Amino acid sequence: MENTFDQDLIYAIFKVIWSKKAIEREKNEDGETSKGEERAGTSKKNRPTSANSNAVKLSCELLRLFVTEAVQRAATIAEAEGGNKIEATHLERILPQLLLDF
Amino acid sequence: MDPITMEGDFCGSDYEKEEDDEATNHLRDRFRLSTIAIAESEAKQNNMEISQPVMVCISDLAFKYAEQLAEDLELFAHHASRKSVNMNDVILSAHRNKHLADTLRSFSYDLKGKEPQSEKKRKKSSNKEDKTLPSVLHIDS
Repeated sequence: MENTFDQDLIYAIFKVIWSKKAIEREKNEDGETSKGEERAGTSKKNRPTSANSNAVKLSCELLRLFVTEAVQRAATIAEAEGGNKIEATHLERILPQLLLDF
Repeated sequence: MDPITMEGDFCGSDYEKEEDDEATNHLRDRFRLSTIAIAESEAKQNNMEISQPVMVCISDLAFKYAEQLAEDLELFAHHASRKSVNMNDVILSAHRNKHLADTLRSFSYDLKGKEPQSEKKRKKSSNKEDKTLPSVLHIDS
């Protein structure tokens, strides 16, 4: 029940993506305007995105819901088939709808 | 990626990329451990066992989802000309699924309710009040 994702972990994952994007943006802008005048302004503008702690907590909850939904739906299928172990075939069955729902 | 940058900072970018991947792999492993813990406890609640490959699969899916979520959140925040992601962005990212959005919204209210840094907000709001009060007084007087 108390199991959830570590806030720092999720934030670290987000940070990796955001800093990648920031570097990309910087590159793009360097390509477009290599005049050097707006360098100071752009470096500020291209700072990677951040998130407040509640937003990260909420993202953790969203990801937790994703995992629990996957397990619950697969468990329903496994139960209907009379097994008591969730196998890959059960996950396959619920996957399309799961991905549409998230 | 493109030949120009490869020429520009030759071994630097390669090295960076390798290090980057290593960091991502490390994060993915940690993420997998958390996912397995969550999945196992959830399966136990349903009186089910869950096989290892299924958990690995779910964790990879969730990791991809997290990466996609990061991109979405960034776009939402930037569209609102903000530099930081807030709770509304997260709720917005689930807007296709009404039920999910509602669940997240109520969770966000819970978070707001037991917020430990409510002092900050109080300070902020008091600042706002300070700013607005004089004008009100002006009108009154």
